[in-house]
Amino acid sequence: MIALQILIDGFAVSALYGLGAVGFTLIFGVSGVLNLAHGGIMLVAALLGWWIAADHGAGPYGGAAFGVLMGLVASYVTYFVVVRPIQRSRAIPKVEEEIFILTGTLLWGIMIQVGMDYIFSNNPVTMQPLIPGVVNLFGVRTPWNELMIAAVCWTTIGLLWLLVNRTRIGKQLMAAAINPRGLTLLGFEMSRIYLIVWSIYGVLAGLAGVLLASFFGISSDNVGNLTASAFTIVILGGLGSVPGSLIAAYVVGYAETITAYLVAPTLRPIPALLILVVVLYLRPQGLLGRR
Amino acid sequence: MTSHLRRALSCALAAAGALGLYAAAPARAADPEPIKIGVISEQSAIVGQAILQGAQLAAEDINAKGGVNGRKIEIVSYDDHSSASDAVRAYQRAVQQDHVSAVVATFISEVALAIEPWAARLHMPTITPAAASDLISKQVHDKYDQYKYMFEGWFPSPILARATCDASGDLFVKDLHMKTAAIVSEDADWTKPLDDGTAVCLPKVGLTVVDHVRFNPDTTDFTPIYNSIEAKHPNVIITGIAHVGVQPTVQWHDQQVPIPLGGISAQATNLTFWKDTNGAANGVVTQTGTVPGLAITPLTLPVADAFQKRFGHFPAFDGFTAYDAVRAFAGAIARAKSTDPDKMVAEMEKTDMEGTLGHVAFYGRQDQFTHALKYGPGFVTPVVMQWQDGKQVCVWPSDKCPAKMIFPSFVKVQQAANQ
Amino acid sequence: MQKLRRPGPWIALLLVVVAATAPGWMGAYFLGIFTTAYYFGVFAMSWDLLFGFAGEVNFGPTFLIGLGAYGAGLMNNAGIPIPLCLIGGAAIAVVGGVLLALPALRLRGPYFGLVTLVAVLLLLDCIVIFAGVTGGEIGMMVPDVLSIDAGVNYWYALAFLVVSALILFGLSRSSLGLILQATGQDRIEAAALGFNVTKHKLAAFVISAFFSGLAGAMLTFYEGTASVDTVVSLAITVQIVIAVVFGGRRTILGGILGGIFLILFGELLRPLGELNTFVVSAIALAVIIFFPDGALGWLLRPRDPR
Repeated sequence: MIALQILIDGFAVSALYGLGAVGFTLIFGVSGVLNLAHGGIMLVAALLGWWIAADHGAGPYGGAAFGVLMGLVASYVTYFVVVRPIQRSRAIPKVEEEIFILTGTLLWGIMIQVGMDYIFSNNPVTMQPLIPGVVNLFGVRTPWNELMIAAVCWTTIGLLWLLVNRTRIGKQLMAAAINPRGLTLLGFEMSRIYLIVWSIYGVLAGLAGVLLASFFGISSDNVGNLTASAFTIVILGGLGSVPGSLIAAYVVGYAETITAYLVAPTLRPIPALLILVVVLYLRPQGLLGRR
Repeated sequence: MTSHLRRALSCALAAAGALGLYAAAPARAADPEPIKIGVISEQSAIVGQAILQGAQLAAEDINAKGGVNGRKIEIVSYDDHSSASDAVRAYQRAVQQDHVSAVVATFISEVALAIEPWAARLHMPTITPAAASDLISKQVHDKYDQYKYMFEGWFPSPILARATCDASGDLFVKDLHMKTAAIVSEDADWTKPLDDGTAVCLPKVGLTVVDHVRFNPDTTDFTPIYNSIEAKHPNVIITGIAHVGVQPTVQWHDQQVPIPLGGISAQATNLTFWKDTNGAANGVVTQTGTVPGLAITPLTLPVADAFQKRFGHFPAFDGFTAYDAVRAFAGAIARAKSTDPDKMVAEMEKTDMEGTLGHVAFYGRQDQFTHALKYGPGFVTPVVMQWQDGKQVCVWPSDKCPAKMIFPSFVKVQQAANQ
Repeated sequence: MQKLRRPGPWIALLLVVVAATAPGWMGAYFLGIFTTAYYFGVFAMSWDLLFGFAGEVNFGPTFLIGLGAYGAGLMNNAGIPIPLCLIGGAAIAVVGGVLLALPALRLRGPYFGLVTLVAVLLLLDCIVIFAGVTGGEIGMMVPDVLSIDAGVNYWYALAFLVVSALILFGLSRSSLGLILQATGQDRIEAAALGFNVTKHKLAAFVISAFFSGLAGAMLTFYEGTASVDTVVSLAITVQIVIAVVFGGRRTILGGILGGIFLILFGELLRPLGELNTFVVSAIALAVIIFFPDGALGWLLRPRDPR
C-alpha cells in the first residue's frame, strides 16, 4: 500500500522536476548557457498566470495560457538583456564567457525575485487546478490534477522529442549542439538557432512554473530552491543530455519521496544531495553526460 | 596628474560627496523635536507590511491628540528583507544614526533574536510585535540587567500552545467529541516549545496524540505527510505552521484529506489567504488575533476601520499588536517624561492599558516569560477563526464568538465523532 | 626603486592611513557599516583567488566561512578564549577546504560549481538538524565579543583586512598566482608546460579556506552571534559574487572595493526600502555587461596610447 503511494506520488513530482530541467539542459546543450535565472522565469510565469486568473477572471485555462506566454517573454528578456550582450561582448574572452553568464543570470534571477516581491509580495499563491476532484487509484486517493500534470509533462516531453528528432529545426538544433562551427560554415545563422532554443526553453519553463503553482503553490521565496533543484538534476543527468535529465529527475524525485515517507519529512532533501555527490565522484560527467 | 590618479580622485570625491549629503540630510530644524520610533520589518511580506502600517496609524492617532509631552511621534521605517544581518545593520542605523528612542521590529524569531543582543548593547527599548520564540523572553528573564530592553508584543510559543489546547478542548472535544489528534509542524525554532507544549496539554483536554510530524520548512509536496498521518487515523490535525501555509492547505483540499485542520496556520490569518489558495482554505481553523467585525475591546473596530480607510485593507494580526506597541511606548515615555531608556523600560513594565486585542500588560521580572504580553482572561487571549465561504468567522471563545464550525464535505467530522 | 615611482602603492598607503583615522571623524553607525564591509572584503578577496585566478566557479564560499564561524563559536561556547577560537575556526575551515577540494580535483566548470553548492546546502541542513548544538536557524550566541566599542571593532577589521590583502595580493603576484591564472585559462596547456595543476589548485583552496574561515570567525565575534543568515546562507554567496565582479575579478584588491560598494550602497539605498537589493544587483549586472573588468580592473587598465 505504502509502496503504491510512493510510486504514484513520486511519479508526478518527478515528471514535474523533469519538465523543469529539460529546457535548462537543452539551452546548455545548444548554446552552452547555464541559466541561473531559471527559478525566476518559472516564478514570473506562475505569478502572472495566477494574477490574470484570480484578479481578472481569466479562469484556470486562461491563466495557464497567459502564464506560459509570460514565461516565453521572460525567457526572451533574459536572452536579449543578459545573455546575448555577454556573448557578444568583445571585452569578455571566450573562455570566460561561461563564468560571466553564470554570474549575470544569477544577478538577473535575483532582480526578478525582488521585483516580483515588490509587485506581488512574497505570499505564496496557487493556480486553480485544471481539473478538480480526486480518483481512487488501487486504493490510493489521487487528485485528478496530479494525474493530469504527469500527463501534460510527458506529452510535452514527447512533443519535444518529436520536434528534435523529426523536424528540420530539431536537426539544426542537434547539429548546433554537436558542432556549432560546422553549422555556421554551412550557412546557418547561429543567432536564429539560439532564438529557437530560447523560445522552446521559455515555453517549457513557463509550463513548468504554471503546473508547479497549480500542484504545490509557489512563492518568490522558492526561486533559489527551484534553480538549485533544476541545476542539481541537470548536472546529475549530465549537462546537455535530455534523457539524462529525465532519469535524474526521477532519481531525485523518488529519493525525496521515499525519504519523506519512510525516514522523516525533515530529512527530505538530504539523500538526493548525497546521491549527487557520490555519482559525481564516480562519474564526473554525470549519468549520461558526454565529455 | 596621471589619468589613473585623476580617476581615483574623482571616485573618492564622489563617495565623500555621497557621505556628506547623507550626513547632512537629517539635520533640519524642527521644534519641538519629534520622538522617533524605528520600525524594522520586511515590506514584501503581508505581516511585515502590517507592522509598519499599524505603527504609522498609532503615531498618527497619538499625534492627532497632541502627541507625547508636547512632542510628535515620527515613525522611521527600515526594510530588513527578513534577514538577520540586514536587520542588525538597520538596527544600528536606527539607533546610532537616526537616534530613535524605541524600535518595533520583525515578525521572525530568528531576526528578533539577532537584534536582541544589540538592544542590550545599545540600551534601546525594543519590542517585537509578532515573533514567538520563547528564547526572547527567556534571555530577558535569565540576564535581566543586560537584556531588559527587549519586549514581546505577542505571545511566546509555550503560551500559544496553552491557547491551542484551551481552544481545542472546547472546539474539538466538547463540541465534536473528538478523541485523537496529530501534531504537524514545520521544523523551526518557534515550533519546538509549541510542540512540547501541545504534546503535554492536548491529552489533558481529552485529545490523545497519535502522531507527531515535523517537516522541513522548504517542503513543497505534502502528500507523504498527509498520507502517513491518515494512516494513524487522528480525528484532527493540530498544525504549527507559519513559513508554509498556502501549499499544505491547497494540497489538503486537492487531495481531499478527510481530517480537519486546526491549531496555528499563520498565513491563513491573512485576508488574502482565500484568494491565494483559490478557496481551498474553506474549513481551515486557526488561532489569530481577531477577525473583521469582531469587537474584542472598544478600540478594535475603530482601529480596524481606520486601517481600512488609510491602507485599503483589514490588518494582519500584527498590525494590531504593532499599533498597541507604539501606544505602549508612547505611554511609557509620557509617564517617564523622558526618553531615557532605563526609565522607559521601568514604565513599560507598568503598562496597563486598553489595547486593540485585549488589556495590554507585560510579564514582570519574576515571571517565566519576562516582558512578554500577558495572557489570559482580563488580559489578551487569541481567538480561533475558521474560513467559511471566503470569510473569516470567529468560532472561539464562545462568549465572543457564537458561530459554529462548518467543514467542507470531504472532511469526515461526523464519522470522527462517532468512532 | 622602479616600483616606488608607480602611484599605486602610495595611493593604497594613503587610503589605509585615511581609513585608520576614521574613528576620529566618522559616526558609530558608519563605522559599523565599514566594519562589516571590511570582513566582506576579505570574503571577496579569498573567493577571487579561486574564481578569478583558478577560473573555478565556487558556489561554496559560505561553506568555508560558515565552518570557520560555527567552529569558532562552538569552541568559544566551550569556554576557549577568542584567539584560540579564531585559530581553531580557521583550521576547521582549512580541513573543510581540503574536503571540498577533493572533488574539485576531478570536476570542472558547472559540475564543480554544483558540488560546492551542495556542500553549502548540506551544511545548512546539518546546522538545522543539529539545532541542539548549533542553535538551528536562529543562530548561536557567543559568550565573548572582540569589543563593544565601535572604533576598536573597526580597527580590528581594518587591520585584518590590510594584513589579508597584503598576503593575498602578494600570493596572487607570485608564481602561484601566475600558474593558477594559466590553469584557469587553459588547463591542458598549463599541465603540458609541466606545472602540477592539482597541487596548485589545492594550495589555492587551502589559502582561500584559511582566510574565509578566519574572517567568518572574526565576524562572529564582532556580531556576537553566528547564524545561518549571516555566514552560511546562499544570499551571502551572491553578495560575494557581486562584490568580486563589481570590484574587478583577478585583481584581489578589487574585492575590497566591491565589499565596500555592496555594504555601503545597500545602506545608502535603504530609503528605497525593499528595492535596494534590486538596484544593487542591477548595478552589478550592468558592470558585468559593460565593464567586465570591474571597477578596479577599469581603473588599472592600460589606456590606449592614441
